[in-house]
Amino acid sequence: MQKVYSVGQINAYIRNMFDQDFVLNRIGICGEVSNCKYHTSGHIYFSLKDESGSIACVMFAGARKGLAFRLNNGQQVIVRGSISVYERTGSYQMYAKEISLDGAGFLYEKYLALKQELEDMGMFAAEYKQPLPFYAERLGVVTAPTGAAIRDIITVSTRRNPWIQIILYPALVQGQGSARSIAEGIRALDKAGVDVMIVGRGGGSIEDLWAFNEKIVAQAIFECRTPVISAVGHETDTTIADFVADLRAPTPSAAAELAVADVRELLGQMELYRDQLKRAMGFCLEDCRQRLLHSRMRLDHASPSQRLNSGRQRLMELENRLRERMQAEIREQRHRVGIYVEKLRGLSPLDKLSAGYGFVTDDSGKRIYSTDQAGPGDLLNIYISDGLIRARVEEIIPETADGKIGS
Amino acid sequence: MEEIKEEINAAKEEMEALTIEEAFARLDTMIEALEDRGISLEDSFRIYQEGMNLLKMCNEKIDRVEKKILVINGEGGLDEF
Repeated sequence: MQKVYSVGQINAYIRNMFDQDFVLNRIGICGEVSNCKYHTSGHIYFSLKDESGSIACVMFAGARKGLAFRLNNGQQVIVRGSISVYERTGSYQMYAKEISLDGAGFLYEKYLALKQELEDMGMFAAEYKQPLPFYAERLGVVTAPTGAAIRDIITVSTRRNPWIQIILYPALVQGQGSARSIAEGIRALDKAGVDVMIVGRGGGSIEDLWAFNEKIVAQAIFECRTPVISAVGHETDTTIADFVADLRAPTPSAAAELAVADVRELLGQMELYRDQLKRAMGFCLEDCRQRLLHSRMRLDHASPSQRLNSGRQRLMELENRLRERMQAEIREQRHRVGIYVEKLRGLSPLDKLSAGYGFVTDDSGKRIYSTDQAGPGDLLNIYISDGLIRARVEEIIPETADGKIGS
Repeated sequence: MEEIKEEINAAKEEMEALTIEEAFARLDTMIEALEDRGISLEDSFRIYQEGMNLLKMCNEKIDRVEKKILVINGEGGLDEF
């Protein structure tokens, strides 16, 4: 027959098994708080549950320093302690030594809920986004007075515009009262009057950045009449404040780049405008000058003196042509005269005389060309090349019909 | 004469009320108008003069004084950082 044990023995045995277990002695469990009861003795009784089940927990008064907040049903928590058996009821339970809010899980859910709520209210809507000023003279900053964020903002801002007026609201950016401090800072700077505002802080855990996920901060940013740039944590951290802000910058340095105009660039642009104005004006003037010159030329061309000059020139041309023509005519006539002289020379009777011919006249000088003109005894003059022979006619012998001189 | 003076003053006041961004936008339009070949000499002189005045105004708007960083307290008072 099998051995039979008492309840106490069994419970003690099982408890011993739990207590010997290395894992169960030091364990952390996450889950949602339910059935939470604060007992007058100072112990806290509650259950941890998730979708699959639940486990009973107790935190004894002596371990209360491991709990920094008031435990409430519905909270997502991480409980650290050991699991053991409560022999009176024969049930196992968690003996809590330390309870903390489950940051990632719990806060993320809270974040999502608020984000949804504000989005439904229209606080992220594009039509409420205010444009950043082109040139800011006064920059408001809500952040911690110490730390990298404000240093970076000052460095970048004054590098871009050494004459910028920075007004800092030294805010508490994490822990108790930080959300209120940030919201107050936004309101104070909005009231004081700045052209643009940077609200933010450097990187940290989700708990560190939590103030920027609070509704009062979102509300203050939304109601702010000054354009707000959010700059919370690093590029990858996105807070509610980033959604409400008029512009989200990935880092505080980037926020300063966006908020403050590069004054050298501005002055350079003005220089460019000056050059463009001058050049365009120069072109206008040059254009007018050209038109003036053109008009003057046309006028000159149409003037009486110009016409007189051109008439004079034409006259000269005509004179030249006339003179040339005249000279050509003279040359031609001279040539012709030369030809006639040559021709005449061939016909000259003097030449013939020199070849042994003579020219015969009667005594009165009348030319003799027929036998009828002279009779015997008449005196005749015979001209030859070198002088005159006076002769007396002996006999007249006319030419016969056959051309022979008679017997 | 008085009227003209008033007109000039009004134009000047209007100009001074402009932000640098608005002044830049005007300068863009002015330069475009000035580069138009059909513009009269009178208009070009007027636009050139106005443009130069705008630039002068922009230049004056840039406050060239280095400033201490201020800290605002809860009551709205300002102290040096």
